[in-house]
Amino acid sequence: MSESLLPSGVEVLFGEIESALAGSSDDTRRAGGTALTATVVVAGPADRLVEAATAIGALKDVGVRSVLISYGDNPAPDVRVAGHTVALEGLRPDYLNNAVAALRLSSLPTLVWWRGGGTEDIEGLATLADRLVLDAEDPREVWKSIENLARHTSVSDLRWARLTRWRALMAHFFDIPEVCAASSSFTTLRVEGSDRHAMCLFAGWLQSVLGPGQRVVPDLHEQSSLAPIEAVVLGNGTQQLVLRMAANRTCVQTAAEVPNLPSASRIVSLGNQQLAALLGEELRIRARDVAFERAVVASRGVS
Amino acid sequence: MPSNPLQDGLRIEPTPGPTTLVIFGATGDLTRRKLLPAVYNLSRGQRLPARFSVLGVGREPLPDDGLRSILADSLREFAGVKGQDAVAQSLAERMHYVGGDFRDGALFQKIKARLDEIDSAGGALFYLAIPPTIYATVIEQLGAASLSSQPSPERWRRVIVEKPFGSDLATARELNTITHRHFGEDQVYRIDHYLGKETVQNLMVFRFANGMFEPIWNRRYIDHVQITAAETVGVERRATYYEGAGALRDMVQNHLMQLLSLVAMEPPIAFSAENVRDRKIDALLSAQPLVNNGMTDVVRAQYAAGWVAGAEVPGYRQDTGVNPQSTTETFVALRMHLDSWRWAGVPFYLRTGKRMPKRTTEIAIQMRRPPLEIFRRVSPSSVAANLLIINVQPDEGISVRFEAKLPGTRMQLAPVMMNFRYGTAFGGGVPEAYETLLLDAMLGDPTLFARHDFVERSWELITPVHEQWQKENASSIPTYEAGEWGPAEADELMARDGRRWRTL
Repeated sequence: MSESLLPSGVEVLFGEIESALAGSSDDTRRAGGTALTATVVVAGPADRLVEAATAIGALKDVGVRSVLISYGDNPAPDVRVAGHTVALEGLRPDYLNNAVAALRLSSLPTLVWWRGGGTEDIEGLATLADRLVLDAEDPREVWKSIENLARHTSVSDLRWARLTRWRALMAHFFDIPEVCAASSSFTTLRVEGSDRHAMCLFAGWLQSVLGPGQRVVPDLHEQSSLAPIEAVVLGNGTQQLVLRMAANRTCVQTAAEVPNLPSASRIVSLGNQQLAALLGEELRIRARDVAFERAVVASRGVS
Repeated sequence: MPSNPLQDGLRIEPTPGPTTLVIFGATGDLTRRKLLPAVYNLSRGQRLPARFSVLGVGREPLPDDGLRSILADSLREFAGVKGQDAVAQSLAERMHYVGGDFRDGALFQKIKARLDEIDSAGGALFYLAIPPTIYATVIEQLGAASLSSQPSPERWRRVIVEKPFGSDLATARELNTITHRHFGEDQVYRIDHYLGKETVQNLMVFRFANGMFEPIWNRRYIDHVQITAAETVGVERRATYYEGAGALRDMVQNHLMQLLSLVAMEPPIAFSAENVRDRKIDALLSAQPLVNNGMTDVVRAQYAAGWVAGAEVPGYRQDTGVNPQSTTETFVALRMHLDSWRWAGVPFYLRTGKRMPKRTTEIAIQMRRPPLEIFRRVSPSSVAANLLIINVQPDEGISVRFEAKLPGTRMQLAPVMMNFRYGTAFGGGVPEAYETLLLDAMLGDPTLFARHDFVERSWELITPVHEQWQKENASSIPTYEAGEWGPAEADELMARDGRRWRTL
């Protein structure tokens, strides 16, 4: 068995997982235990799971049970257990929902972090999850079924989590009364970056929140050397709202050019954009993310 | 004003509108230790508005950019910011300073002019990080300069007043009267940083969002409540203030009364500022007087030399700035009774002290024992009462102690503790209390701030104790060794009721 997912774990039979978890003696348990708050399931192709396993490792002191499942063709996958984490390597995807049903903590929320793969099994996962966080390299296929998935569970996407700070900064501009009053007048939107799907999602979000009667024309500039989102410029002829990645690459330079108003230029942190931090953010959200669903639907019209 | 459509569904909670934070006492300790790091962390977390500035006010004649070097020092020392930091730099560019005499009206005209220059269209939050003796002066000056008037909803004016709010009932009333002369109660934010702590806020969630706890939250199931606020530090650099205050004024009147009211309050009909604060004052109004016919259930003491946190420490009277004959109390323990349907007959024991063995603040709710000890004959150990512990600091969380059977063929009982810790359960950081409270004040949410009637009622309970102490022999005070849990008299206070302080 490959040890890539959970090298520190011990190999156990599937039926022994619960007793292995109960007997595991990591530092947290020695210190008197911690209150468990959720199950986090990560499912995806093997090559996308290694990075996720590292992120999950950062949650070792958090009160969650983690379940890593990589796809394969094995109906009886190898199992390893370490601390509060279980790894199943090479599971046949059509048994995903069975594995999750068996391993999730009872009476506590289950978050499924879906790192891609065939979309045919995702609905089964959605019915078991309290929150489904999508994270496919190419999300177009799964985004097509967003309305269906949202009928079963609360759906989000790590791309969306990466946009949180950008969205907040744009929203801060609209806290300025003069900008908010002019919100229906914005027509031009330029988005620069390397992740076209993220750029479309941001443009879709803006279109969805600024209202259906408004025609903001997105102008997407994709360049692989840039950050996923490098800059956003929203304008209406007299006002220009600019968000641009700062030189240190961890902050955003913001500037609101509004006639007769003092400058609202500043540099603000983009926060931690590491996978573990983004997952942590998702774990702290328990409500349905209607804004995301609307943004995805609106993004379909962005090209 | 139309609502911001972009805030809809935003994961980061709403930010305040354009704001200038005006800090009186900008060069002082509180600003450096707490306020500037809190502002920086709020900025890092994108919780500050796009138009946000700080105007520092102090007695020292510094240039307009004088606050910027204070910010740099503060962040290095208290926020762990090393080297170049783009967020700190950007924040520094929006920091200004005016100096002058707080008694001089000209200073307040300067403040007014600077506010207009910085942002004439936004709100202003005045933070009084100054000695309490000049609160009234500054509030009067703010009023005289029309800095308390709010020309429009966007140009709101609010004032945050640090503790202590008054030094007894009369001075608290007087300060409230002066404050209300210029500011409406909805503009006044009396800060108690304990209320900004997650666990303290969680206490309401714990009680009112869980169907299993509230039904047992009464005299039928609860034997008594212990509230402890223990510090390992001595008087440090606060000797001048502390000599005139003591533990009763410094801790009990505000922090411990707040904790008590949160434990004892009835459920509010909604989680709104006024509903919550109404129920809290009800709880305090139900408290029996602490002095009855010259008798009190209050123990006071002062620390003598001892050993704390791995080092020998001098006694209070030997601390720098302390009167060698001082009778100021550094420890207080008291018993309170509430005349309410819920709490009749349930004592609340409060204690606070400096130079204790551990730094800890907690509320321990001890349940009644089972009516029958059916294991008494088979188990050599006695049954410990169930405990519910709300840890306020340093390790915020909730613990429950219950009895379990020790594994083995014999029937032996042993207590076990189930722990929930904020630091680990959910992941991510827990915001500092000052961050929460500063933001709430900017957003205009007074839920976590003390209302005038709460402050006055609290002083009404405390003031007679001080008066009683003054009547008694003022030249002596019991002592306890630094590094111990207070004097023997505190243990006797509990022992008289057949109880004892929880082992911490």
